[in-house]
Formats: sequence, C-alpha cells, structure tokens
Amino acid sequence: MSELLVVEGLTVTFPTTRGLVDVVKEVSFTVGRDETVGIVGESGSGKSMTSLAILGLLPRGAVTRGSIRLDGVELLGRTDREMRRVRGEQVSMIFQDPLSSLNPYYTVGLQIEEMYRAHRGGSRKAARKIVTEALTQVGIPEPERRASYYPHQFSGGQRQRIMIAMALVCSPALLIADEPTTALDVTVQAQILRLLAGLQRETGTGMVFVTHDLAVISTIAARVLVMRRGEQVEYGTAEQIFAEPRHEYTRMLLESIPRIDDEVAS
Amino acid sequence: MTTAAPSRDAKAGPEAGATGAPASAGRRIAGALLHDWAAVLSTGFLILVVLMAICAPLITAITGYGPSDFDAAAVDSDLGGLPRGAFGGVSAEHWLGVEPQNGRDILARIMYGARVSFLIAFSATVLTTLLGVVFGMLAGFYQGWADQVISRVMDFLMAFPSLIFMIAILSSLPAGNRSVLLVVVISVFGWPYLARVVRGQTMTLVNREFVEAARASGAGAGALVFKEILPNLRSSLIVMTTLAVPGYIGTEAGLSFLGVGVTPPTPSWGQMIASSVNWYAVDPMYFAVPGLFLFLTVLSLTVLGDRIRAATDAGEAS
Amino acid sequence: MARYLAGRIAGLALILFMVCLFTYLIFFQLSPDPAVMICGKTCTPERIVQIRTILGLDEPFLSQFRDFLVGLFAGRDYGSGANLIHCPAPCLGYSFQTSQSVWEMIVDRLPVSATVAVGAAVLWLLAGIGAGLLSAVKEGTWWDRTLMGLALGGASIPNYVLALSLQYVLVVHLQILPFPSAVAFSDGPVLWFQSYLMPWVVLATGYACLYARLTRANVIDTLAENFMRTARAKGLSPVLTMRRHALRPALTPITTIFGMDFAALLGGALITETVFGLNGVGKMAADSIAKNDQPVIMAVTLLAATFVVVGNVVVDLVYTGLDPRVRIR
Repeated sequence: MSELLVVEGLTVTFPTTRGLVDVVKEVSFTVGRDETVGIVGESGSGKSMTSLAILGLLPRGAVTRGSIRLDGVELLGRTDREMRRVRGEQVSMIFQDPLSSLNPYYTVGLQIEEMYRAHRGGSRKAARKIVTEALTQVGIPEPERRASYYPHQFSGGQRQRIMIAMALVCSPALLIADEPTTALDVTVQAQILRLLAGLQRETGTGMVFVTHDLAVISTIAARVLVMRRGEQVEYGTAEQIFAEPRHEYTRMLLESIPRIDDEVAS
Repeated sequence: MTTAAPSRDAKAGPEAGATGAPASAGRRIAGALLHDWAAVLSTGFLILVVLMAICAPLITAITGYGPSDFDAAAVDSDLGGLPRGAFGGVSAEHWLGVEPQNGRDILARIMYGARVSFLIAFSATVLTTLLGVVFGMLAGFYQGWADQVISRVMDFLMAFPSLIFMIAILSSLPAGNRSVLLVVVISVFGWPYLARVVRGQTMTLVNREFVEAARASGAGAGALVFKEILPNLRSSLIVMTTLAVPGYIGTEAGLSFLGVGVTPPTPSWGQMIASSVNWYAVDPMYFAVPGLFLFLTVLSLTVLGDRIRAATDAGEAS
Repeated sequence: MARYLAGRIAGLALILFMVCLFTYLIFFQLSPDPAVMICGKTCTPERIVQIRTILGLDEPFLSQFRDFLVGLFAGRDYGSGANLIHCPAPCLGYSFQTSQSVWEMIVDRLPVSATVAVGAAVLWLLAGIGAGLLSAVKEGTWWDRTLMGLALGGASIPNYVLALSLQYVLVVHLQILPFPSAVAFSDGPVLWFQSYLMPWVVLATGYACLYARLTRANVIDTLAENFMRTARAKGLSPVLTMRRHALRPALTPITTIFGMDFAALLGGALITETVFGLNGVGKMAADSIAKNDQPVIMAVTLLAATFVVVGNVVVDLVYTGLDPRVRIR
C-alpha cells in the first residue's frame, strides 16, 4: 500500500532583516493512510511551518524546496488556484486557538457550510443537513439549534469540536492538527484527543499531529518526528522513541514530561 | 562612607536605566526620521517657519514694514485698492506682496501671525497634555470613584459638538485677552481625548509586575506615579502631542477665520484668509500666501507626527 | 432590551439637560448684558428694557432656566398685550433680530444642511473606504504609498482653504461650475448637482482621508487574524475570503465613527456652508455669531449637541446588530 503523504527534504527559507533563514531544514517523513504521525518540538522548532507548507499557506516571501507528495501527486510548485482544491477537500487543518480561528461575525453553521459548498456545491438547505451531521459527529448537543450560534457562545472545548467538524466535513484524506489541545484545559484536552483518535479510526483519515508535548503524542501517534531549530532530530515509531531515544534532545524532552508518580509525590 | 557608597549606587542604578533606554530609543527614532525624506522636508519647513516667527522683528526691520504699517504707495486706489505690480504686489520691499486697500506687508503679517498661531497651539498642547495626564493618571491610578467622576466629565465634554460650542463660548464671553481665552477653550475641550488614552494605559501599567514590585518595596503613590508610570507613558505622550499640535493650529486658524479667534489688529493666518475671501477673485496671492503657509505647516506637523508614531511602533514591535 | 433602552434614554436626557444648563449659563450668566446682545446693533434703550422684561432677565437664574425648559416642551409666550409673541413648542427661543422663532429658522434651513451632509457622507464613504481597501490590499506598494500620502495631505488642508482654492480654479478661472448656492432639486437636477458638488467635495475630503487611513489599518489588522488563515485553509476563493471574512470585521468599527461624524454634521457644516454661502443651519450659526444673535447661537449649539448625543445611542444600537459579540442584556 502506498503512503498517503510523503515529505522529502523539505526546506523552508524566509527572507529576514538578517538575510535568508532556513526555518525548516531537510525534513523528511511519511504518513500512511489512517496513520497518525506526531511532530514534536518546542516553539520555533519549525513544526508549524512544516504543517503550513503542506497546505501551501506559508507567509508571503517564504521559499520551499524539496518534495511534498499527496497520494503520489506533487504539491510543491502548484498555483494557489490548484492548491485551493487540495485545501479542505483533501487536506484540512485545525489550529491551536479555536476562538480566534473562527470568524466572530458568522454563525458556526455558516462557517462549516461555506467550506462544504466551496468544494461540493449544492444548495444551502442540503449543506445545512451536512452541518447538522458534522456537529452531531463531534458531540455538540442540539446541533440543529447550535448551528445558528456564534463562536463566542461556545466553550473552548466545544469550539475546537466545531473546528474538527469543519475540518472533516469534506472527508479529507489527511488532517493536520496544529497544537489542537494546547489552549484547552487538561480535562478538555483528553476529551478532544479521544474524539480525534475515535474519528480518525472511524473515517480512516491520516493525521499529522503537531505539538510541543511528548506526553500528548504518546497517546495518539504511531510514528513521531522530533524537530529542533528547523532540523529533524529524530524520526521513528513511538515505541522506539519512548523506549530508547537516540538523541540527547529527545531524552531531555522525555524527562520533562511530568510522571503520575511525580505528581503524587509533590 | 561605607554606607554612603551603596546607597548612591542604588540610586544611580535605576536612574541610569531609565535615562539610558529612552535615550537610545530617541536616537533610534531620530535615525529613522533622518532616512525619511518626507520627515526631513517637514522638519526643514517647520524650522523655517519657527525661525521666521522668532526673527519677525529683525526681518521687518530689514524690509522696513511692520505688520500694521500701511503703505498707500503699494496699492492702486484707482483700481479699488488692488496692489500695484504682479503677484499681489511682490516687490523688493514687499517680498510676499501687500494686502489690498491698506497695503500692509503680507510677509510681516505672516511672520507675526505665525507667532500667534504657534504660541496658541503650543500653549494649548501643553495645557491639554497637563490636564490630560493629570486627570488620566488620577482616574487610572486611583480608579474607583475618582475614575467614575473623571470619566463622566470626559463623556460629557466629548458629547459636545466642540467647534460650535467653542464658537458659542468665544462669541459670548467678553473680549478680554483673546489668545489666552482661545488656549483655555481649546484645552478644556481637548484634554479628554488624551486623558482617555492615559487612563487606559495607566490602568494596565498599575497591574504590571514592576509597579507591583515597587509598591511591595514600599514606594509611595508619588514615587510610583513619577518613577514607574510616567516614564512608561512617555512614547505615547510624544506621539499624541505631536499629532495634537497641527490640530490646534487648524482649530485656531478656523476660529480666527470665523471671526471669534484672534481679533485685529493682531494678525493671524485664519483671519488673513477670512479677509482675503472678498478679494481672491482679483488678488489670488492675498489668499494663496496665508493658505499655503497654513496648509504646509499643518501638513509638516502631521507628517512628522505620523512618522514618529511609525518609528515608535516599529521600536515597540522589535 | 427595554431596560437597556430606558437606561440609555435616561442617560441621554441627563446629558441633554446638562448641555442645556451649561449653554444657558454661558449665554445668560457669563454674558455682561444679554439684553444688549440679543437686541442687536440697531437698538434703542427702550427696546433693551423691553427685551429684559420680556425675557425675565431680572429674575433669578433658576426661574429663567425653568421657563426656558418649560418652553421647550409646552411652548411659551413672550411679553403680554399688544407685544405678545407666542413661541410654540418646541420653543428654543425667539430671535429679536429677525423677529422669528428660532425653531422656525432652524426648520427652514435644515434641508440644506441635510443635503450637504448626506451628499458629502456618500462621497467620503465611497472614496475613503475604496482608497483604504486598495491601500491595504496593495500594502507596501507604490499604490499604498501614493494613496496614504494623499490622505495625509488631504487631511491637512483646512476645508476653507480647499473651498476657496477649488472655487477659484473651477468657478472663477475655468468656469466649469456655477457659483454654489442652495438650489432646490426641483429647479433642475443638473443645476442642483452642480451647485452642491463643490460643498460635498470640500466637506468630504477631510473625512475621506481619515476613513482611508482607518480602513487601511483595520483591513491590515484583519488580514493578520487567525480566522483569515482558517478561511484560506478551508480552500475558499480569494474573493469570498476577502468579501465575507475580511471586510465585515474590518468595516464594522467604522460604522461607529461614521455615525458620530454624520450626526455632528447634521447640526450644520459651519465653515463649508459659510464659505459657499449655502443657507443651512451652519451658516445661520455663523451669521448669528457675527450679529451676536444669542438665542440662535444657543439653539444651534443645543441642536448640534442633541444630534451628537442621540447619534451616540443610535450608533450603539446599530452596533449591537452588526457585531454578534455585543449583545444587550
């Protein structure tokens, strides 16, 4: 079976006042169908830039080299017009802060609906049915009524559920989750992680899960890519990395995870 | 001796820090402005006008015509008092021409008018800033009822249509010293706009760690306000005041244009423009000279204020 | 909602009352002798005495002020017998110089001021928002720099200077436009349009420049929002992304400012109307200032303050309809 996403030698260069800076250097990894790959690193490690590069959403001026193939088709070097058919339809994304990632001026129903209709067309009425289903799928109670609510009328966890419903409304082959639980309370984090893992099993979507938190990765990802300062430090299965981290930096990250017995002790 | 040394060091420490940072920030802003041709041109023009205002008596001594001296020889009484010669009577004696009918020297009136305009605008800015900072900080620092009272007064003053109200007040008050009256009226309606910003910033500053730390270490209200909060307001105050000056110059000129500002024979640009209205079809220079000076002065100050703001914003972002 | 409205209206009434009190104080207490002022330049000592008794200027301040307030709501009679002057509600005062009730004078001139204000508003919204959008989308380019330079320049021209310059070039020199005057629409739409064109442009210029800068700043801020990234990540078309996701958040705050500016203008564009000789409320105010016709100046001040204060409440109400995050409890 061929891989869903193949990233090879991805390099992202930014022009800055101090000359050209490589924010991502020679990163390679693959994501299989219905597999979850975790990208771990501290802020500034280039993990978010890697995920934005897949969707072609890098800030203006950024230059990408290497190769990003989705289902064997090269994504780099495509026009924005061509990429628009990929975004949302084949690859969709959820972000760290669901409140600011949703437009405060429109109902969540409309924001999900416009995504569906941009790719699949159809009447608003038909789309509304899809919206209700999508909201039900992510566990929003009274989805029909809540579709006409605005983002600020939901709790943080519910907003992220709405972002997930939106991301999955066109049944994409790949979902990129960029720190989806970082802005949430610990208990809500667990719920969202469970929801993502469940939905992923159900729909068979491949997932790239970006986080700074190795503890979160351990529960969800099969393979892990560790990044530091734009470089790929370590890449392997989750078991490998947790059992015998080869790199000093990974070991450091692992040690910073609070253990249950630590918390009890303190 | 051994006890004196550390205490002097302790005093010198924060002061050096406080003056060191703004000085380099000031140098950075000045550097940014020097690389901007619009800012350089504006500054050049403003220096010229200020010099003209300061040296007005000197220059009029050279030309020989003061702001209120009539020169019947410069106007043609057969043509209803139109200035003799091209461009509104420009000549070796009258560099910018003369007024129709009475032949007063326009250059002299522009220079003395600049004195009035600048004096009023700067005094109004100083008074506005003073009122704005004092009331804004009182409201922001003490909050509670002080804030309630000050905020209501500000709402009230800002609800007024200030131009009409200024005109109304100025027209009903006894003549007296017009310039002082103008400064007071402009400031009374101007301070809430500055105070609102100061209040907001003070409120956030009061809760910042360094103010908390100073408070915890026993600093009094006075020390907190003058040593911790005021220095942090400096950059936004500079921006707000530079942008306020052109506004006040425009307001003064507008009020004088409408006849409720500076009263003749004291010259003022707005007043000159007002009296040129009846003549502009036959003697456009009479209108063009004060109009251009007013426009360029306001423009230069606005451009300068805008560039200073851009430079400070860039500094804060980096 | 009802409670909120009641609260707002109570606050509005309080501010208007304060404005009345303040204006009345200034005109009748600070003024050395209001009767002389009110009477005007051609005045006899008998007339002054008459005005003084008619207006009750010898009475204590509070009772004078009470009569004024009652007149506002119930109308009022000045003098008695043969000299009786009836001033129907809302009685804002009586001009002894023009022998007219001030309210009538205002009602006569309001259409001209409204025409000036509405035309200018349409113009400055189109020009200002258009220029601001173009600048924001082309941020950092030659377009952006030129437009913003123009906006700085335009905002720096005092409008009477602009008015006189335009009039010199277009009317006196090139003779493209007729001399501005308050031509009624029924006298011919073309002439009407030509007559009002310069006042509109002059009044609109300053606002347009301000709005261009505001729009640019707001659009640039909005384009940097996270939800814009979401919109792009969803694969929406650039047109839809811009129109739906960027414009509404960027332009909604401008409605607040527009409401306030427009309300203030309804009370008369004093300078523009004066320069162009348009007989609106603003020119009436300027003329009254020149003649020291105090009841008229005071009434215009009150009217303008009322527009601003009522405009404030209307703007807040409209805003709650435009921004779903702001809801009235």
